[in-house]
Amino acid sequence: MGALDGLKILDLSQILAGPYCTMVLGDLGAEVIKLEKLNGGDDTRQMGPFVNGESTSFFQINRNKKSITVNLKTDEGKEVFYRLAKEVDVIVENYRPGVAASLKIGYEDVKKINPGIIYCSISGYGQTGPYSHKGGFDLVAQGMSGIMSMTGEKGGRPLKSGVAVYDIGAGITAAYAILAAYVHKLKTGKGQHVDLSLAEIGLPWFAWEAAAYFANGTIPTATGHRHRALAPYQAFRTKDSYFMLGCGNQRNWEKFCIDVIDRPGWIRDPRFIDNKMRIENIEILEKEIENVLIEHDSKYWIERCEKAGVPAGPINNFDEAMNDPHYLARDMIQEVEHPVIGKMKMVGIPTKLSETPGEIRSASPVLGQHTVEVLSSIGYTEEELKKLEETQVIGKANIDGKL
Amino acid sequence: MLPLEGMRVLDMTQIMAGPYCTMVLGDLGADVTKIERIPGGDDTRRMGPFVENESVSFMMINRNKKSLTLNLKTEKGKQIFYELAKKADVIVENYKPGVVKSLGIDYETIEAMNPGIIYCSVSGYGQTGPYSHKGGFDIMAQGMTGLMSMTGEPGGRPVKAGIAMNDISAGVTALYSILAAYVHKMKTGVGQYIDVSLVESGLVWSVWESAAYFGAGEVPTATGSRHRMNAPYQAYKTKDGYVLVGGANQRNWEKFCKGVVERPEWIEDPRFLTTVERVKNVDALEQCIEEIFIHETTAYWVNKLDQAEVPGGPINTYDQTLNDPHILARGMVQEFEHPKAGKMKTLGIPAKMSKTPGQIRMAAPMLGQHAEEILSQDLGYTQEEIQQLRENGVI
Repeated sequence: MGALDGLKILDLSQILAGPYCTMVLGDLGAEVIKLEKLNGGDDTRQMGPFVNGESTSFFQINRNKKSITVNLKTDEGKEVFYRLAKEVDVIVENYRPGVAASLKIGYEDVKKINPGIIYCSISGYGQTGPYSHKGGFDLVAQGMSGIMSMTGEKGGRPLKSGVAVYDIGAGITAAYAILAAYVHKLKTGKGQHVDLSLAEIGLPWFAWEAAAYFANGTIPTATGHRHRALAPYQAFRTKDSYFMLGCGNQRNWEKFCIDVIDRPGWIRDPRFIDNKMRIENIEILEKEIENVLIEHDSKYWIERCEKAGVPAGPINNFDEAMNDPHYLARDMIQEVEHPVIGKMKMVGIPTKLSETPGEIRSASPVLGQHTVEVLSSIGYTEEELKKLEETQVIGKANIDGKL
Repeated sequence: MLPLEGMRVLDMTQIMAGPYCTMVLGDLGADVTKIERIPGGDDTRRMGPFVENESVSFMMINRNKKSLTLNLKTEKGKQIFYELAKKADVIVENYKPGVVKSLGIDYETIEAMNPGIIYCSVSGYGQTGPYSHKGGFDIMAQGMTGLMSMTGEPGGRPVKAGIAMNDISAGVTALYSILAAYVHKMKTGVGQYIDVSLVESGLVWSVWESAAYFGAGEVPTATGSRHRMNAPYQAYKTKDGYVLVGGANQRNWEKFCKGVVERPEWIEDPRFLTTVERVKNVDALEQCIEEIFIHETTAYWVNKLDQAEVPGGPINTYDQTLNDPHILARGMVQEFEHPKAGKMKTLGIPAKMSKTPGQIRMAAPMLGQHAEEILSQDLGYTQEEIQQLRENGVI
């Protein structure tokens, strides 16, 4: 049993933010119907790498969903949409603001036929405000929010975070907002519109940066491999590579001095006496520590830290991460059978619920795989479906669709 | 009205991942009681900057919560905790695995007295698996997930993401898991245990990277500001700085060629014909674009991108962000009154809900600020009893 069994979602979104949201909800048991455009569907289907002609990028974030292809620019296609919209609890879309309304599939249109609908719009800048009309992607949001000015080495070329943090961030912000709205709906029967943007969702993540800025106007800059407010809490060079050390408090620092690098004298060294002094003298601290660490390789130091109970760990490349025994033991790598791709691996589910664990029930759908199934379930006859296909209102079903 | 009104949360967490989770629950209407240890409370209370001796860092992620200081190592303190746990819907904790068991406040103990409890543990590596006993912070998770190996310039020193990304990802993962479990509880009355870790919450953010790895065996490396699968999608050098261009699909690319750089012939150039070709020839593409961009300022190109309706923008510093007219128009900077520090600003709420918008109802509490209120109003302790508990160092 999934925690969200019975929750029905109509997903109009594409690429990453929206699909990530609906994947998370699907993993937890929601039924997700992905409505795609006729020519090619979700843009991610064009992104490599491809296996047997199917996109493995699409495969990674569209599991546990059904795909139907509908042309929303035709009246009959709109009719299909309205009939589905009446049946579902949640709609997720990521059109540029204004587009859904002009297609007559916006919140106001749907509310009239289903007042309990939870309609979530994900956009670059949100539905209001001076930039609302602009298109925005993850990278543009990384630039706007200031995070790029905090990432990288001082004075270097601006860097983005290694993964699409704001796309994913928008997706999971949408996921929790939808669930809160669903709780409200279960209690009152009322739906609502949820408006969130890539440019905003990352802002509340700046807890420490906001504290410094609002308290005394400090503008945070890039700190490279170091923490802004804690030391030593960063990557250190060893004989063979780098590793992460995290002395987040005084106790860990003292254990590190005594049990890891055998420099108990540093505990009373006025330059390193507390976190504040260690931050102030970070350059010299880093140099002193690396002078010791350079004698052995990373593995040696990580083991010593572990014995001493000091938080430390390796800097994995992705290959190492994907083969790490801990991830494997925690089911974070799963293999799924896809109708075209065949057996393919994917990243698993990060939250472990004891009563209603998340589940990968099906691989990502091929384009339009469930058109016939879904439309039949809301009352379309075989004849009507044939007609809709001939007039290109719905796409040709393949694999297990019958048309 | 707020969507989570009536949900009672006991928050045993500190620093960032857990407090972020319970802050958002509070923003959405949950009644959050933060249980802090004696002495000192949440470690964040000692993180600067300070105004009137109160930590501003603490203020940023502990609004909409009550504070109760409780000594869980005393029998009486444990008793009070059990009384609160019996009335709670949700408990969130981020001790090292094993600690709650030794304190006698673990899931099994609480479930026996409150079967509907949703008990969420947030830890570095999770409650099972070979590393579960280790302590883990955000930075170790950035190292373990591979995120650091993908951030930075190719071949350079590993760089961490600008903020505590995996603390946040764990906090938000805990948040949506708790809400899903709460939905299940509303329908069935059954609670459950939720095990969330930093190293897993962060791992699942590597979507394109896992596609490349599992689909083609490629190990993703640092790409500077470039996208792994799209081009042009990166920062380009201008006369006075950098500008971001997000030409993530063919239509935007064509608009970019015609309307921004005025090189319509690039659309037919075999090197740049499709996304796949442009990614393959990303060095040549960067050179071609920067040869043009270098002649004008960032402001000029941002304007030109806007006119052509191609997603693009500046790379703001943090003060530019928080003074941006759009960010201000969307209510992302809010002012509140702190009982001691006075008027302070903080970051707003990113999900705008039309019927039940999140609200900042109160500032972060001072240590133990609500001890008396909670004990007398919620648990029915008398003034004398509370006085006694105080004297014995229980609260």
